[in-house]
Amino acid sequence: MTAASPAVPARKGAALGWLRRLGTPKIIIILVVAGVIGYLALVPLYYLIWGTFFDANGFTLGGFARAYGDPRVGGMIGNSLWFAVGAAVLSLCVGTALAYLNVRTDVPFKGLFFAASIIPLIIPGILYTIAWIFLASPDIGLLNKVIEPIFGPGFLDVFTVWGMVWVEGLHLSPIVFLLMVAAFRSMDPSLEESALMSGASRWQVFRRITVPLTRPAIVAAVLVMVVRSLESFEVPALLGLQNGIYVFTSRIYFVLRSYPPDLAAAGALAVGLLVLAVIGVAISNLVGRSGKTYQTVTGKGFRPRPMELGKWRPVMGGAIVLYFFLTVVGPLLVLLYTSLLKFYQAPSTEAFASMSLDNYRELFHISDATTALRNSLVLGLGSATLVMVLMAVGAWIVVRSRIPGRQLVDHFSFVPLVIPGLVLGLALSFVYLRSPVPIYGTIFILLIAYCTRYMPYGMRYAVTSMHQISAELEESAQVSGASWWQTFRRVLLPLLSPGLLAGWIYILVVSFRELSSSILLYSPGNEVLSILIFEQYENGQFTVLAALGVVMVLTLAVLVIIAYKLGAKVGLRQD
Amino acid sequence: MQHQRILGSVAAAAVVLFLGACGASPTAGGPAANGANNSSTKAQQVYDRINGLTSDERTKTLLDLAKKEGTLSIYTSNTDLDKVIDGFEKAYPIDVQVYRGNSESVLQRVIQEQQANYDGNDLVETNAGELNIMNDQKMLYPYEGALRDAVRKEGQADGWTATRFNVFVIGWNTTKVKPGEEPKSFEELADPKWKGRISLEVGDVDWFAAMYKYYLDQGKTDAEVRDLFKRVAANAKIAKGHTAQGELLSAGQFALTASSYSHTIDKAADQGAPVSWHPASGTPIQPIVIRPNGVALMKTAVHPAAAMLFVDYELSEGQKILHESFRVGSIPTANDPLAGLTSISVPEKEMLDDPKKWDALYEEVVQSGQEVK
Repeated sequence: MTAASPAVPARKGAALGWLRRLGTPKIIIILVVAGVIGYLALVPLYYLIWGTFFDANGFTLGGFARAYGDPRVGGMIGNSLWFAVGAAVLSLCVGTALAYLNVRTDVPFKGLFFAASIIPLIIPGILYTIAWIFLASPDIGLLNKVIEPIFGPGFLDVFTVWGMVWVEGLHLSPIVFLLMVAAFRSMDPSLEESALMSGASRWQVFRRITVPLTRPAIVAAVLVMVVRSLESFEVPALLGLQNGIYVFTSRIYFVLRSYPPDLAAAGALAVGLLVLAVIGVAISNLVGRSGKTYQTVTGKGFRPRPMELGKWRPVMGGAIVLYFFLTVVGPLLVLLYTSLLKFYQAPSTEAFASMSLDNYRELFHISDATTALRNSLVLGLGSATLVMVLMAVGAWIVVRSRIPGRQLVDHFSFVPLVIPGLVLGLALSFVYLRSPVPIYGTIFILLIAYCTRYMPYGMRYAVTSMHQISAELEESAQVSGASWWQTFRRVLLPLLSPGLLAGWIYILVVSFRELSSSILLYSPGNEVLSILIFEQYENGQFTVLAALGVVMVLTLAVLVIIAYKLGAKVGLRQD
Repeated sequence: MQHQRILGSVAAAAVVLFLGACGASPTAGGPAANGANNSSTKAQQVYDRINGLTSDERTKTLLDLAKKEGTLSIYTSNTDLDKVIDGFEKAYPIDVQVYRGNSESVLQRVIQEQQANYDGNDLVETNAGELNIMNDQKMLYPYEGALRDAVRKEGQADGWTATRFNVFVIGWNTTKVKPGEEPKSFEELADPKWKGRISLEVGDVDWFAAMYKYYLDQGKTDAEVRDLFKRVAANAKIAKGHTAQGELLSAGQFALTASSYSHTIDKAADQGAPVSWHPASGTPIQPIVIRPNGVALMKTAVHPAAAMLFVDYELSEGQKILHESFRVGSIPTANDPLAGLTSISVPEKEMLDDPKKWDALYEEVVQSGQEVK
C-alpha cells in the first residue's frame, strides 16, 4: 500500500494519508474494541493453554491423560451430555414460551411477570438447589408430602439426572427468556398476521414463521445453555454426588482441590469444552449469516402489536400462575420460610411459633455488608454497561463489517465462557501482580474479571440482535450523509437496544453471584456480596444465608423492573 | 488489506502487552523468591527480638512497636475469626485489614503474591494442610513464647501454631436415630441396617487418611480397611460441604453423618436442631479425628510486631471468643471437650509428601461404594 517510492515527500504524503485514514473515529473505535476483546480473552487463554500443555519439563499431554484417562470417563461424559442437553432443552422451551407470552400476547401483569421470569437467576445457585432438596427430596420433600396420598411416598426424586435437569433448566431459563424477549421485540408481526390471514393455525404460525425467524437467538441460547450446564457446579455437586452421578465439573473439582491444583487436567477438560464451543459459535454464525432471512427490522416501518389471546387469556393466566407457583414461588417461599427460622425443619405449629426476624437483624450486623452491597452494585452496573457497549461494536465488526479476520473477534469473545473461574482468577492475579500499573488490590481487577467472564454473554445478546437488523437502514443513513459514528449512535444503537438491555440485565444479575474468581481477586475493602454469601455458607449460617438470598431477590427484582420500564421507552415502541 | 493489517497489529499489540506483563512462564514458578528484600530482614529482626522476650516486657515492647506500625493485614479462612478481630481492635489501637476466603484461595493468594514479591499480608490464619505447604516453601517465620508452649502438642507445628482444632465426629439426627440406637463405633456403619441413612462428605480426605492409618495401626490389612470404607460408602449418601451436610442432617435428609465438625453440630443443637454427637448414655463414638488449624507469621511482613501481638491475643483472649463459637481451642481449658476421649491426628507428613495418593484413594472408595448399590 505504501509505495516504495524513493521520493521523500511522496512517501511522507502516503504515510500521512495512511494515518489520516487510520485516524477516523471508525477505525479508532474498531481498533480499540477489537484490541480490548483480544486482550481480555488472551490473558486467561494463554495461562490456560500454558498450564495445560507445558510443565517444568516442557511440552506434555499428561493433563489429558489424567483428565480423560479415568475408566469411568465414558459414563461421566454420558451423564454430562444428558444433563447439559436436557437442561438446555428445558430452559429453551420454558424461556421461549415465557418470552413469547410476555412480548407477543396480552397476558396480564407484564411487569411483574418479567421480574418473576428472572428470579430463578437471582437466587444464588446453592440456595436454589437446597430449596429444591427441601421441596422434592424423596425423604424430606414438602411436595412429596403433599402428593403422597395420591402417588405414594417419595414420588418425586430430585437426586436423579432428571432432577438435576429440572433444577438446572429452570435456574438457567432466564438466560433464554432474556434472549428471546429481545428477539421477539424486534420481530415484525405483519409476517405472522399474513400467515394467519392465509388460514394458518396459531400453532402453524408459531412453528413455521415465528421459530424460523428467531433461529439465530435460539441457536445462541442452545449454545450458551449447553456450555453453561456442562460447567455448572452446585447442581451436580449437591444433587448428583449423593447417588454417584458424576459429571465434567465433579471431575474438575477433584483435579483442582489438592495442592498444587492440577491445572493441566483442569485445562484439558476446559480445552475439550473450548473445542465444543468454537464449533458451536461457527454453527451459530453459519445459521445467522444466511443472508437477509432473519432481518425483520427493515426500512419498512412496523410496530410490534401484542396478539390478543381472547378466550385463551384466562387459561394462559392460569398456566402461568401454576408455573410460577412451581418454579419461582415454591423455592422462594422455602427460602423465606427458612430465613425466619433458627434451623430448617418441616413446617409445623412449633416451627411457626419459633419464627423471628433474627436472621435479618444479623444481616445488618455483618461487618462490611453495606460496603459489599455498594461494591457489588458498582461492579454489576459497571461491568454490564462496559460489556454491552464493547459488544455492540464487537457485534458490528462480526456481523456487518467485511474486515478479514472478524470471526476471530467472535471466537475470542466466546473463550472466557469455558475458562474455569479459578483459572481466570489465577491468570489475572498472575498478570496484575507483575503489572507496573497498580491494579492488583483495587476494585479494578474485579471489574476486569467480570468484564472477561461476561463478555461471551454480552456478545451473544448483541450479535443475535444485530442479525435481525437489516443493513439497508444503515445504508440509507450513510447515503443521507451521516458518518459511521452518527449512524451507529443514532440508528443502530436504538434498534439494538432490546438485545443490549437484555444482556445488560443478565450481566447485572449474575455478577452479584460471581464467586470463583472474585474470591481470589478481591482485597480488604473491596468485598462483594458473593463473598459474604460464601462466608455465611462456610460458617454454617444457612438461615442467615436464606435471609440474604431474600434481600438479594428483592433488591435485584426492583432494579430489573426499573430497567424494564426504562427499556420499554427506548427503541422499538409497542402499542 | 488495510483492515487486515489493522487487526493483525491489534492482535500483535495484545500479545505483546500480555507477554510483557508476564515475563516468565506462569505456571512453572518455583518457591517464593525467598524474601531477600528489605521488609523480610526487618521483619525477622523484630520476630527474633520478641521471640526472646517474656511476660510484661514482651507485651510492652510489642505494643510499642505495633502502635508505630498502626495496621495489620490478615489472610484467613477461619469464619469465626471476625469476632476475635473485633476484640483485638477494641483492645489495641491497630487497624486490621482482613482477606477471607476458603483455605485453597488463601493458599493460592499467598503463593501468587509471594512469587511476585508482593507483601500483601503480615499474618495467615488457615488450615493445617495449607500452612504446611507455605512452611515447606519457606514463607513463614517461627513464633515462640509461653503461649505456644501451652498449646496441645499436636498443634505446635513447624513454622506455625495451632489456634483451634477441627474435631471430626459422628453426628446424628435425634429424631431419626433414637436414644440407644446410636452406633458404638465407626465399623458398625458398614452394617446394611444403615443403608441410605448415613452421609459422607466428598472432600474429607484428611479425616479419611487419619481413620485409614488408625485401622492399619489396629492390625487390619490394607485390603480390610479398604473393604470397611467401601461397605460404609455403599450405605452412604454423598454430600458436598459440611454446611449443606449439617443443614440436611438437621432437616432429616440423612440420619447420621460420619465426619461432621463438632462445631457444626454444636451450633445447630444450640439453635434447637435435633442433632447431637453425644449418645444418651456414655461417651461419644471414638476415635475422634482432630486436625489443628492455626496461625503463622509471614517472613516478609510489613507489620511484624502487630502480627505477633495478634497471635498473642488470639492465643489468650481469643481462645475464649473462639470457644463461644463452639470451636475447640488449641490451649486445653478446665472444661476441655476432648478430655478423656481417644483422639487421632491426620498424617500431615504423608499428606504433604503425596497428597494425590490420598485424594485418589478416597475418591475411589467413595465411587466404588456407590457402584455397589
